Amino acid sequence: MTPIHDKAVLSARDLAKQVVFNGAPLDILHAASLSVQAGESVAIVGASGSGKSTLLSLLAGLDQPSQGDVSLFGQSLSGLSEDGRALLRRDKVGFVFQNFQLMPQLTALENVMLPLELAGHKDARDTASQMLGHVGLAHRLRHYPRHLSGGEQQRVALARAFAIHPGILFADEPTGNLDAATGRQIIDLLFQLNSEQHTSLVLVTHDNELASRCDAIYRLVDGRLNGARA
Amino acid sequence: MSWWSRLLLAARFVRREIVSGELSILALALLVAVTALTSVSFFSDRVARALTTQATQLLAADLVLNGNQPAPAAIRQEAQRRGLQVADNISFPSMVFAQGQATLATYKAVSNSYPLRGEVTVRRVDGQLQTGRLHPAAGMVWADARLLRKLGVKLGERINVGNIALQLDGEILREPDGAMDLYNFVPRLMFNSADLAATGLIQEGSRARWRLMLAGDDRQISDLRQWLAARLPAGSRLENVEEARPEIRTALERARRFLGLTAMLTVALSAAAVALAVRRYLARHWQPVAVLRCMGLTSSEVLGLFVCLFLLLGLLSGVLGTLAGFAVQLGLMQLSSRFVGEVLPNPGWQSWLLGPAASLLLLAGLALPPLLAIRQVSPLAVLRNDVPLLHSSLVAPLLAVLVLLLLAAWQMDDVVLAAWLLGGMLAFFAGVGLLAWGMLSLLRRLPAGRQVGWRYGVANLARRPWLAIVQIVALAVGIMALLTLTVVRDDLIAAWQKSVPADAPNKFVINIQQGQRAALQQQFVTAGLPAPALSPMIRGRLLAINDKPVRPSALQDEQARRLAEREFNLSWRDELPEGNRILSGQWWQAKARPQFSVEQGLARTLGIRLGDTLAFDIGGTTYRARVTSLRSVAWDSFRVNFFVLAPPSLLQQQPASWISSFRLDAAQEDFANRLVAAFPNISIIDVSAILDEVRAMVDKLTRAIEAMFVLALAAGVLVLWAALAATRDERLFDIALMRALGASDRQVRAVILAELAWLGAFTGLLAALGAMGVGGIAASKLFNLPWSINAGLLPLGMGCGMLVVMLAGWPLVGRVTRTSPLAVLRSV
Repeated sequence: MTPIHDKAVLSARDLAKQVVFNGAPLDILHAASLSVQAGESVAIVGASGSGKSTLLSLLAGLDQPSQGDVSLFGQSLSGLSEDGRALLRRDKVGFVFQNFQLMPQLTALENVMLPLELAGHKDARDTASQMLGHVGLAHRLRHYPRHLSGGEQQRVALARAFAIHPGILFADEPTGNLDAATGRQIIDLLFQLNSEQHTSLVLVTHDNELASRCDAIYRLVDGRLNGARA
Repeated sequence: MSWWSRLLLAARFVRREIVSGELSILALALLVAVTALTSVSFFSDRVARALTTQATQLLAADLVLNGNQPAPAAIRQEAQRRGLQVADNISFPSMVFAQGQATLATYKAVSNSYPLRGEVTVRRVDGQLQTGRLHPAAGMVWADARLLRKLGVKLGERINVGNIALQLDGEILREPDGAMDLYNFVPRLMFNSADLAATGLIQEGSRARWRLMLAGDDRQISDLRQWLAARLPAGSRLENVEEARPEIRTALERARRFLGLTAMLTVALSAAAVALAVRRYLARHWQPVAVLRCMGLTSSEVLGLFVCLFLLLGLLSGVLGTLAGFAVQLGLMQLSSRFVGEVLPNPGWQSWLLGPAASLLLLAGLALPPLLAIRQVSPLAVLRNDVPLLHSSLVAPLLAVLVLLLLAAWQMDDVVLAAWLLGGMLAFFAGVGLLAWGMLSLLRRLPAGRQVGWRYGVANLARRPWLAIVQIVALAVGIMALLTLTVVRDDLIAAWQKSVPADAPNKFVINIQQGQRAALQQQFVTAGLPAPALSPMIRGRLLAINDKPVRPSALQDEQARRLAEREFNLSWRDELPEGNRILSGQWWQAKARPQFSVEQGLARTLGIRLGDTLAFDIGGTTYRARVTSLRSVAWDSFRVNFFVLAPPSLLQQQPASWISSFRLDAAQEDFANRLVAAFPNISIIDVSAILDEVRAMVDKLTRAIEAMFVLALAAGVLVLWAALAATRDERLFDIALMRALGASDRQVRAVILAELAWLGAFTGLLAALGAMGVGGIAASKLFNLPWSINAGLLPLGMGCGMLVVMLAGWPLVGRVTRTSPLAVLRSV
């Protein structure tokens, strides 16, 4: 069992998730424990259906475990309501998704401004356009997601995630919908921003090469987490 | 988050959502509903205000004693003794002629103190406008523009009024007690009552209304009212400010309700579009909401954002719709200005609030249940691509019906009526929907064609039958209403004209005096025309049925009340008139016995049965006799007919005026003018001219109603749009898949065209069938006309339906075909 570090940004102890499928209980995740230090990058790898996304959703407080507890920035998630967990995420947690999840009705700039506005930043517009410039999209500010390529959409998503300088970033297969070359560019950008902002990173992927760039790798096989720090 | 930053965030959210165009159909549907509601509301509010705030002007006095005889001198003296102002106004229909032209006009003889309240506006000979308490001086006459036009006379010329010639020195632009007469298509003429006797126009049996006008302070008026209550002469009634112009109030109330009904139709259709648009909007926002939740927004904050958005959208649509409604109402005013007056007071502030309130109410009823479900969106949804289904419960439709009921009750001012109306409307929608469902199932059973477009187009319709039915019903109702008002109306008028015999009389002569009969018939013979038969006309008031006094105020039926209030025209004769048929009882058996024969419609309205004893007051004498027969009368034969007939022995001794009808071709028109010149007291009523006037009035009114139905059709188009938009993503995917499988642009278009064409054809077919049904019911139940089905209505309706659906649907679907398949397959 991995020891839980005192200065961990994120720590999980004995996480389990059970769902009822066709009337019978089904274990998706068994007693998973891990911790992430400030500025540390952690990869969770596994085949399709191994429970990666379930683990990520539990770690980020998007879902509740059947057993065990997650502590995010020193706060136990099990003691918080759904809304309480939302408030905890507001200005400290960033997300990057496989299918980008940009707001279709907002321009690139507005998409990046949104989390800043939610967190009450006064200079949301300037910060957002700087972030977009930083990811190489200064010329795409007023474009809607449907007018952007997949790679460009994921850059907007990165800009959106890093705009609030999150303490921790959760990335779910960030290159899953991209071709190899574009995927590499996105990952380079992700790690660059990560190190610039000293953000902790939890990266879910099935790509071993990508995982190897992280400080620690956890492997999920049939819902069991076998982890080792690099 | 502070309240201020929340508000700012919400404002930015709203702005972005609106700019993105995701809400345009929703906003348009609200706009159309509010426009329909407010236009009717503004219209009725302004008319109602005119009726209440200008009531004293409508009466031109505070109290009027309205009778068919001059007011007794005792009453006049009593009013003067009490210090009230007194004026006279005697009005009657009669002929006026100048320069060889004659026309029927409504005469009004007024005394020197007229008007007691309100003002008259006239244009003088020198072109100057004058407004004030004015009246024509003795020897002078004023006429309205219609009379000047008909007679081709100018101010300053002389016209013949009965036995004397008066000088025309004013054109009436506005008169307080004449501006709002719904049936006022007869030209008007005003002269001084000092000239009345010299004109010789008022004779025995003349149909004159004598109005003794009174004005004073409230106390004086109410005291006199009390004093008068017990002394009211027979055939008289008191009119005061509250009861001014009951016939106009009734007619306007009917118009308001009818317009309200069409407005509710539009609102109900718009509501369907709103509901469809809201569902699509929220379904598309499931994932973005999950992202917002990931970003740390609580469920109540997310709900707050959307509530703000809908509130603002509702207010915006409400305000814009109210402005549009005001503009539509100006058009309605234009079309009906002749009946409600040219200048009306401005609408009250309440009317301005109705639009935004109705818009918010509609949104609350239709958007709230699905909106509340947004609280259940879990942030987990970002990791899953499945969109949870919106839970269907009974709450949403019940709330929608409740909101519609509330709006209908507001519109109709009557909850029970509104409930019936809404129930009827929903039942009608359900009936049309059932027919549409039958057609769709038939279509599915048709053998599949070889043509790809046809096959997939039909499959697309069948795949979403509920959505197809909603679209068909919404559009069919709008098109049906318009077909009924245009094609079916013309068919009805044509059927009616056909039912009138070609040789039917087209002129009535009334007011012929006893001594003029032979001379008048001689005029016909001299002109080479057949001498017309003359019938005596005696005026009498129904006093009692079976010795039970008839009290008009106690009668429930409005028509019965009107009949009982006014005087009847009775006649006596030996033989059963041509075109009359005895339905029960027998025509005079013993002619010497007092008896009556009554027209069946009148008998039914007043509850008179065979064998009943009727009592009439004729010239101060009471005549009592039994009803020995009930007759049917062919009213549209345009012959002279009477409600009540008696054998000569009963009424022959009573003074009577005589009436006749005859036919004149256009070439013989001059004969009528010569006849009037020879007998100035008689009146000739030109049936065809009146029919033309009635048709012009009907035209104007139907155009006003058409304007409202165009709004209903617009709402139907919005339902189509909302339904097409709701399926746009599915279509995009289907088409991309077809393209990927090698379908050409032409084939893709053929699929969409086939679907729209079927949709349009069904819509049009149902609309045509509906219009035929409405026409049939109107013909048989309302107008008693033989109704032949206009087969052209079916292709016309289907053509209309296809045209509307294709024109409205193509732009929306067309965009789908221009999108690249790769982009679509990737994005879904």
